[in-house]
Amino acid sequence: MPEEYTPPASPTASFYDLSEDDEEYSTITHTSTGRGVKLLYTKSKVYVHPTPSAKDNIPGFIALMQQKPPTSVAADPSDPVNPSNLLLAWLPESAIGTAYDTYVKVDLLDTGTPPKQTYLVPPPPISSGSSPLGSYSFSIPVSQIYSLLVRPPSLGWWWGSIVINSRGGDSFPALFFHDSECASTIAQSKARTKKNFDPFGESGELFWGGDEVLRWLKRFVKVERSQVEKTVYLIDPSKDDLLSFGQRPVIDSTAGKNRDAAAANASGSGDFAAAVMDPFTKVIKSARWSLLEQFAKVTQFSRQTATNMLDNPNLPPQVRKLLKNPDVVSLQDDFDSARLYLARWAMGIAEQSERERAKIVWKREDMMEMEDSAVGEFEILDIEAGNIRGDGDRRRVVDLKEWNSWWNKSTGRLEITADEVKERIFHGGCEPAVRKEAWLFLLEVYPWDSTKDERAALMNSRRDEYVRLKGKWWDDVSRREGEGEAGEYWRDQKNRIEKDVHRTDRNIPIFAGEDTPHPDPDSQYSTIGTNVHLEQMKDMLLTYNEYNTTLGYVQGMSDLLAPIYAVFQDDAVAFWAFVGFMERMERNFLRDQSGMRAQLVTLDQLVQLMDPVLWKHLEKAESTNFFFFFRMILVWYKREFEWDDVLRLWEGLWTNYLSGQFHLFVALAVLERHRAVIMDHLQHFDEVLKYINELSGTIELNSTLIRAEALFYKFQRTIEASDRRHGFPSPGTARPMVRLTHRRTDSSTATTSSTTATANKGKAVDKGDGPEITDQLREMLSRDYVRVEKKPEDEEGKGKTPARE
Amino acid sequence: MSSRKKVLLKVIILGDSGVGKTSLMNQYVNKKFSASYKATIGADFLTKEVLVDDRLVTMQIWDTAGQERFQSLGVAFYRGADCCVLVYDVNNQKSFETLDSWRDEFLIQASPRDADSFPFVVIGNKIDVGDNKRLVPQKRAMAFCQSKGNLPYFETSAKEAINVEQAFEVIARHALAQEEAEEYTGDFGSSTIVDIGADSGDDGCAC
Ligand SMILES: Nc1nc2c(ncn2[C@@H]2O[C@H](COP(=O)(O)OP(=O)(O)OP(=O)(O)O)[C@@H](O)[C@H]2O)c(=O)[nH]1
Ligand SMILES: [Mg+2]
Repeated sequence: MPEEYTPPASPTASFYDLSEDDEEYSTITHTSTGRGVKLLYTKSKVYVHPTPSAKDNIPGFIALMQQKPPTSVAADPSDPVNPSNLLLAWLPESAIGTAYDTYVKVDLLDTGTPPKQTYLVPPPPISSGSSPLGSYSFSIPVSQIYSLLVRPPSLGWWWGSIVINSRGGDSFPALFFHDSECASTIAQSKARTKKNFDPFGESGELFWGGDEVLRWLKRFVKVERSQVEKTVYLIDPSKDDLLSFGQRPVIDSTAGKNRDAAAANASGSGDFAAAVMDPFTKVIKSARWSLLEQFAKVTQFSRQTATNMLDNPNLPPQVRKLLKNPDVVSLQDDFDSARLYLARWAMGIAEQSERERAKIVWKREDMMEMEDSAVGEFEILDIEAGNIRGDGDRRRVVDLKEWNSWWNKSTGRLEITADEVKERIFHGGCEPAVRKEAWLFLLEVYPWDSTKDERAALMNSRRDEYVRLKGKWWDDVSRREGEGEAGEYWRDQKNRIEKDVHRTDRNIPIFAGEDTPHPDPDSQYSTIGTNVHLEQMKDMLLTYNEYNTTLGYVQGMSDLLAPIYAVFQDDAVAFWAFVGFMERMERNFLRDQSGMRAQLVTLDQLVQLMDPVLWKHLEKAESTNFFFFFRMILVWYKREFEWDDVLRLWEGLWTNYLSGQFHLFVALAVLERHRAVIMDHLQHFDEVLKYINELSGTIELNSTLIRAEALFYKFQRTIEASDRRHGFPSPGTARPMVRLTHRRTDSSTATTSSTTATANKGKAVDKGDGPEITDQLREMLSRDYVRVEKKPEDEEGKGKTPARE
Repeated sequence: MSSRKKVLLKVIILGDSGVGKTSLMNQYVNKKFSASYKATIGADFLTKEVLVDDRLVTMQIWDTAGQERFQSLGVAFYRGADCCVLVYDVNNQKSFETLDSWRDEFLIQASPRDADSFPFVVIGNKIDVGDNKRLVPQKRAMAFCQSKGNLPYFETSAKEAINVEQAFEVIARHALAQEEAEEYTGDFGSSTIVDIGADSGDDGCAC
């Protein structure tokens, strides 16, 4: 419980006389007591949850109030309000008494600024250390608030909450915002949606009651969101606070001096990297795995463990603070999915430090030091990744100058090998200006050995061909009128395409507008409006049906087309690039889903081979169907990464530089990155699915690519080692290899002694005969991608000749 | 007793692509509608804690892709469902006609203990669009629901938040009844039984 604190100003001077009239504004007075405070803002239906049972929840008001400044200070109306005269308070409904109507009124005022009229209410009790049990009311001067722990509603947290931490190091009980009951929040969120179609709050997340509290405070004090722990907002933070919360170090002269001093004190060269790291990253680095492990303990075991953990001297102060918070400690009592919260939180920190570290080349000794036997194997991977990362020049972006230097000035023929180009793009990616050309090679519209003139001629014929294909439906009036079976099919396809195009990447400027009236009055979107790019997208997808007459439009295809169209912004050129992309993606969209299944099975085998311990865990969690990678594989991580990252990822994958199925190594890299969390916290299919789905928007692309590359090399070595053992490939072995022998024979018996059993099993695979390598796994060494096999009669309709009718 | 045991109700939303499954779920759980939801790929769920007759329960609402081609992948999450919501778009004839096959598909995949009593709730969405566009008359929809064993029927707008809360309240109620019925037959005496019969009559749409 928070300790008492002493209000800074003379308390007798800090209340308004309830009978005293403000000169400018009429005053609502309260007569129950003689003194009052100005109620600036309040929000209703903010609850304290004293026990896990909803029965015990206590509804109340959170409020920002203004005390009267001490009389000795000359009242200057232009003076900003001194934060020590502001009180942030929570009062249970039951304690408000006759002021209730005033609270309700102010709650519903919904003005950006404090009310013009002065609403006076009785002063709240100061702090609550000694209040009788059951009354959780408290108030604290804003100047005494150190930070707010703000958790918007999300998975498992249907009520968003705020915890107030005082400068004295105390936490008040968590306040839960029951937005669905709060009239003002409902009204505000509706207004927001109406006004600018943006139901999202300040943080870009869903608007909720807590956003309002932050907004109130920002009117009077500086509120800084922590860079490391996104749920922490610091109130009027000092520089030190900012630094320890992982704000990018401010480069000013004093900071520079400190660093120099630190560097000078450092004895070995290994310490130098440490010296330039901010203190927080440093702590995380030195405590890296043990910290994660301890988080696991907090969530799996008890309050007691958490208390013990507080004795750990390595614990960063903000983590300590968080753990002290009774709300967090009792998480596991409250919700089944609570452990996910801490897990994700811990992962967020790790991810952040990964970003910070991006430029530091790891020293092998550092790595060894950090290593923990439990995760040893994959730490070694990090060393490998570290070495790859150190290869700085290869990861430079290919700019126009470099690109142009590869081509003969007069003939336009490539003067280095195609492999060299692919290697550069695989590692560095393309600058936007390069994409318009490079992608046409990567997507096999242009042959690598063509001349400039050949390409110009080729593109001309492609343009004609596009116009011809498009004309097939465009000029077919009876089909467009929906006549007959063909017409019905065409209409249905058009509806599907239209519905998805209107839901595809509308946040990207070229797809955002609705400025053009819809060309088709019968369309489901005729009232909404469209834009020229959306219309082009629809036409291209309809035209693709004329090119590939067997597939039909499938959801996800619009996701694949959008980036290509956006880069070229020329329908004919983009169409053929899309055709090239679909060559390799077609199997994802087959009617029987065989292509998706095949990839999920391959991924299953890959994980089995590369990380049998993790695989065992996933098997126990009934997740070895790897369905949780379905979305990532179907549209190549389109929904997981931001737009720019998608472009970078795809062009790398298109090179086939290491493998025609490198996207599965990316999946493995994502999985390995989250291995610890998955192993420690996720026990069921739904938990795994939710966790992986929610990685969307949080994955750091560069380190993922590096990790995927390291994993590929490791995979290659594993297979080579196995082949050596088997004297494979022996000449004339046409027979497919036997599958890994894993199937579910022992799953029912393996529950109790699981950890040791699994560990032994993992090793057993590597000893003796070693793993058997399936055909699917071996195929991943190939730089060819997997095409859908066409029946001979289809074949002639493919490629560069017109589609069959 | 088992009062501390969490009740998790699993609800599956099915229906053709574009009828508004994702929008309904988000309107109910997050109280928002966005014109820019993307077509659902794979599956996802949201959870919401609600009070049903003074019992705190957690609803886990599953949203899947509507395109036929992806249906064969549904198996994994249909299992263990406590209620299935069938959604169609009142302005789209075809989406109404497929309701039956969605229902059949669900019963095959989820294989509930007693298919006849398994709770379905039918929702006709997008009623905000306007009468001149409406293609499925309310009467027809209600006749369908009646023929399938008096399924509760709601007409909603995920966009304007019309009737969404009401529909999900009934969904929660039916899911809880189903969960308790299953628990009763399976695990003896672990929970009190709610009278299921009482609320089945008048849940339907108020129109
Ligand atoms: N006017 C109106 N439009 C709606 C309503 N509900 C959804 N929509 C729109 O209908 C389209 C499809 O909505 P979604 O919620 O994505 O549909 P879905 O059923 O989840 O579709 P899939 O994910 O493809 O299966 C979107 O453009 C929505 O904005 C509604 O109640 N009224
Ligand atoms: Mg959807």
